[in-house]
Amino acid sequence: MPKVPLQIFRYKAGEPSRYDTCTVDIPDSAHVIDAIDAAWAVHDPSLTFRRACHHSSCGSCAIRINGVEKLPCVTKLSDVWDGRTPLRLDPLRNFPVVSDLVVDISSFFQRMSAADMAITCEAEAFLPFTVDSFAVAALERKAVELPEDFSRFNRFEQCIECGICMSACPTMAADDRFLGPAGLAAIYQARHKTDDPKKVEHLLGLADGEHGVWRCHSAFECTEACPQAVDPAGKIMALRRELIARRFSKMWGK
Amino acid sequence: MAILDSRRVSRAGRWVDVRHRRLGMWAYALNRITGIGLVVYLYLHLCILSLLTRGQSAWDSFVSLARSPFYLALDVILLAGILIHGLNGLRIALTGCGIGAGAQKAIFTMLMIVSAIALAVAALKIFHI
Amino acid sequence: MIENPFTEEPKPTSAWLWQVFTGVGLVILLGLHFIANHFVAKGGLRDFAEVVAYLRNPVILCLEVLFLLCVTTHALLGVRAILLDFGLSEQTERRLDRVLKVVGALTVVYGLAVTFMVIR
Repeated sequence: MPKVPLQIFRYKAGEPSRYDTCTVDIPDSAHVIDAIDAAWAVHDPSLTFRRACHHSSCGSCAIRINGVEKLPCVTKLSDVWDGRTPLRLDPLRNFPVVSDLVVDISSFFQRMSAADMAITCEAEAFLPFTVDSFAVAALERKAVELPEDFSRFNRFEQCIECGICMSACPTMAADDRFLGPAGLAAIYQARHKTDDPKKVEHLLGLADGEHGVWRCHSAFECTEACPQAVDPAGKIMALRRELIARRFSKMWGK
Repeated sequence: MAILDSRRVSRAGRWVDVRHRRLGMWAYALNRITGIGLVVYLYLHLCILSLLTRGQSAWDSFVSLARSPFYLALDVILLAGILIHGLNGLRIALTGCGIGAGAQKAIFTMLMIVSAIALAVAALKIFHI
Repeated sequence: MIENPFTEEPKPTSAWLWQVFTGVGLVILLGLHFIANHFVAKGGLRDFAEVVAYLRNPVILCLEVLFLLCVTTHALLGVRAILLDFGLSEQTERRLDRVLKVVGALTVVYGLAVTFMVIR
């Protein structure tokens, strides 16, 4: 088994930040998250990091590997390690670092919530179905009937809210009030899921400000970095097209 | 909760670091650098134009100086900045209005090839004048 | 309960649209300006007499004034975009807008003054 050298960003409250190096024994067919697990288990149990599903559906583990935003749970060591240089692991950018590889993503969820895309604890209590009902229906080979208002509880399909796009975005680096690629993609998605003209006006209004779609500098890093093909940049440009069309319509009195 | 947060100036300058970034980010950084260069040039150019108000001899002496190889080379650099900023700007205008956003990398590459060709032709003309 | 600062509908902005509009204008106007002054002009630069004759042409004069307006607007909107990256407060942003408008106006006035001093 190769010995994989890691260089991990460390930060604890009240201390200056630093990089710790350690070497873990791990097959290079393993994923980067396994290397982080090993570093925690064998070398330093004070290492703080997030992980849950191990298959890119929860978005918890997002970090930077050699400076590039990735999900370590689906990133093979062999894809990012050259066999000798220490693998550098950093937390996501543009979010305050809480500890080591963990960042404070509360502002991310505030943006999602503004676009009415977050499921809150209150909503979960009223979900009209449970995981069990899906399993029972599958066992009995019956089709699952979804309630009419199911779309009220439906998240937007591809985004796993990992925050990678927000870390890659150069405008997020500079502007704390920017809605960001994820926030704007969420607004786009919410706008296209509703027919209510008041809601559409509100959502487009959120996007139409100095810290909305017009703050994007067309770097397209968000789309490049996104592990789930959400294409946030494409959605930002589509929102811009709609806002421009509306301005022209207003100008011509339509 | 104690947090680590970067200083404002380093965050404002983060766009300069294009390591590990892809073509769109390179295009953005290039646009900013050429933009800053062109703003500086604009105000220099406006200052030099004041020589026109000092009469024929002041302006004509400047023109003789501006025909030297050093100034002609600066003109080629200026033209490079104008072509890169202008043509990439057209790409930003198009994609930013929701047209061709999916093909932004191809559009950028094509426009930079056009810039390079135009610059080469212009440089030949400039040094043969 | 922490207030969510992202739920407030902001004031719509047209800065980016003006940047694009003046930018597209500049591709044409700067192109014409560059060709007229460096490729059409004999020797690549106009001497004093040639500049005066050039600017006394009313069509040229209008194009050059339009060029001055476009380039000043585009340049200062670009400077504004870069300065906004410094995490300025709302009040500082508004002050910056006022300062840039004054700088823009002074630039245009200066350019017009030089032009009219030359052609009179």
